[in-house]
Amino acid sequence: MGRFWAVFFVATAVIAVAVSWFSPDLHWWFPGDGKAYSTLGRRIDDLFHLILVIVSITFVGTQAVLGYVLWRGATIKPDDKVLFSHGSHSLEVIWTIVPAGILLFIALYQMDVWAQYRMKSSSPAKTEAVAEVTARQFEWRIRYPARGKKLQPTPQPDDVYTVNELHVPTGRPVSISLRTDDVQHSFFVPELRVKQDAVPGLVIPVWFDVLERRTGNKAYELVCAELCGWGHYKMKARVFAESDEEFEQWRETIAGEQFDDGFKKAAE
Amino acid sequence: MAVGLTVLVAGCGKGPQAEFSLREETTDLIPDAQKVVKATLKEKFGSPHELIAWQRFPVNYGGVKGSVTEVAAEAKSVVVEWEGDATQVAKDAPLIWVSGARAGEKTSVGSVATYDAAKKELTWTGGADPAPVAGDKLVIGFGKSLQTGRAIYMKNCMHCHGVSGDGNGPTAQYLNPLPRDYRTGVFKFTSTLGPEKPTRDDLNRVIKYGIPGTYMPSFLWLGDKETESVIEYIRWLAIRGEFESRVDNDLAGDFSQKTIEAAAAKAKANYDAAKGKEKPEKPQSSAAAKSAAKDKFAEYLKSDVPELIDGSAKFIAEAWAHSEDAESLIVPSVARVTDDAASRERGRRLYLSDKGKCYTCHGIQGRGDGAATEDFWKKPGSEEYYTKRGLHDTWGKPLQPRKLTLGQYRGGRRPVDIFRRVYAGIKGTPMPGFGRTALKDEEIWDVVNFVMSLQYEQTPTKAKATEHVVHSK
Repeated sequence: MGRFWAVFFVATAVIAVAVSWFSPDLHWWFPGDGKAYSTLGRRIDDLFHLILVIVSITFVGTQAVLGYVLWRGATIKPDDKVLFSHGSHSLEVIWTIVPAGILLFIALYQMDVWAQYRMKSSSPAKTEAVAEVTARQFEWRIRYPARGKKLQPTPQPDDVYTVNELHVPTGRPVSISLRTDDVQHSFFVPELRVKQDAVPGLVIPVWFDVLERRTGNKAYELVCAELCGWGHYKMKARVFAESDEEFEQWRETIAGEQFDDGFKKAAE
Repeated sequence: MAVGLTVLVAGCGKGPQAEFSLREETTDLIPDAQKVVKATLKEKFGSPHELIAWQRFPVNYGGVKGSVTEVAAEAKSVVVEWEGDATQVAKDAPLIWVSGARAGEKTSVGSVATYDAAKKELTWTGGADPAPVAGDKLVIGFGKSLQTGRAIYMKNCMHCHGVSGDGNGPTAQYLNPLPRDYRTGVFKFTSTLGPEKPTRDDLNRVIKYGIPGTYMPSFLWLGDKETESVIEYIRWLAIRGEFESRVDNDLAGDFSQKTIEAAAAKAKANYDAAKGKEKPEKPQSSAAAKSAAKDKFAEYLKSDVPELIDGSAKFIAEAWAHSEDAESLIVPSVARVTDDAASRERGRRLYLSDKGKCYTCHGIQGRGDGAATEDFWKKPGSEEYYTKRGLHDTWGKPLQPRKLTLGQYRGGRRPVDIFRRVYAGIKGTPMPGFGRTALKDEEIWDVVNFVMSLQYEQTPTKAKATEHVVHSK
């Protein structure tokens, strides 16, 4: 019976590794095509892969030891002499120091990425404030400054508004001011690895850059990542990453529609 | 098109069967009248799983029309000229003969047996007799658009707006303001004149951009075809609801149980009160009155009800068709007056004047706290007052006048949208229209400029004498 359990637990570990190995092909992996499309996103992915490698080695190692111990225990003969052990001090030191060292390494290694993301002193010096994104049950209301103007904290008469449609220039750091009208939401663009909770009463700057131009049906998806009510599941928007000319052109079009006075000049 | 009614088979139905709900007024009618109303609705509109497309209404039920140009020997196949996109014409597509010998009840409904897209040659199920001739008309995939609309509506809209579009879906109980009840045929944010229905474009805007300040979200990414089909379904639901409402209104006069009971009770009270003095005739009891109404209805059914049904349908069909006409659309006759301090000052004066009287509801500072919100108002068309203070909409719910300082415009933030609100009012609410009557278009633009500036007004203590500031004290 003991052998069965030994085999069982080793088999479970083997299956887990096999499934994880094939996950990307089964599309149980990162969203989209699996790649991050922002600079910071790629660094986050690199961290993820590093930790994955470390953890995998640890997992395989520990499961192998577990299997060995189980098998030895299962195949012990009734006549074999029992070994009295007072433990092994050196073994305990090793298996404390080594994992601690690994964790310390990871903690220090990732500080840079965290600082770049969250600390102003380490973020890019020049991020362009593109829009104010207001999360609302259950949509994203977005306010852009007029052409040539800077985004102001309060609405301006010539601001341009859209719903569920965020346009940003490609290839350079941009920032949005994240607010919410009612409850907590979270601004999450999976393919850019950007996530920030929107907290009532706060205006939170979120910076990111987009590496690849995407428009139309291929635009990046923006979803809400903080349960906000019965419509949380459908609180989606699209992020269009465009060239500067396209962005300006689009803003002109929207402004034209927004300030439409409905008057049709008689055709001459 | 001689065919009046066509039955459409539902798509896959998962879960419990949804049913259209009936209006309170329908269930209040005497049983015989109720039966007739229910049967008519079932016959003309069907149920959510078996929609019936009444062709007299201006709803795009979908499908592609074709006209027979050639008939092969022995009427084995026909060549058809299509009006529009014929990609849905394929084997097993539903087919309806609309004119000619095959358009009779027994042979009109069938399906496509084979179709050669290159030659546009079609064979059909149901036999070669009677044979079609050149000029006969047919429709492929009739009703597909309505079915798609129904599916999308049930998935995205039904939980607030209800199966029948009555604004009473499962989610509605948590919402304030309530979702729209389509069954009156009244929609608030339109680009059309006062008595007109909304255009398809109006409904499209609401679906695409949502209504800020309410729970109506933006369905910007639903897809053009999907949005179009859902708009048709919503119009169809509104038509169905209004049809039921009109028939009810006509029948409620004589055949409403509540009215009969109330009249009998009143007569009895009068009789009891007068007993000692004179000897009036003993009035009918409630049951006797209902029995008399039953007999009266049997007569009415033969003499007036067919015309009632026909007339109601005609009225509604014409109303919805007319809303798409150019003359229903509100188009400003002048371009927007320059948005400067002078225009806003004129607008402010109109806002506070007797011509506009905007402040009575919207408040002197545009905060939606005018004196009208404190008054008790009578229900329209009756002597009864609303139990709550303040203004109400036609759906009977309390309604606050818009707080203009928020910069939140439910019907759209374009200048033309606000122009239209002031010009024609907001249907279903006490917001009146000032166009063509009280205010000229230039004056309306002044008011629009003033209203749109209220959002940016600084508080008096921080006031600076700049172009962008208008003090409204």
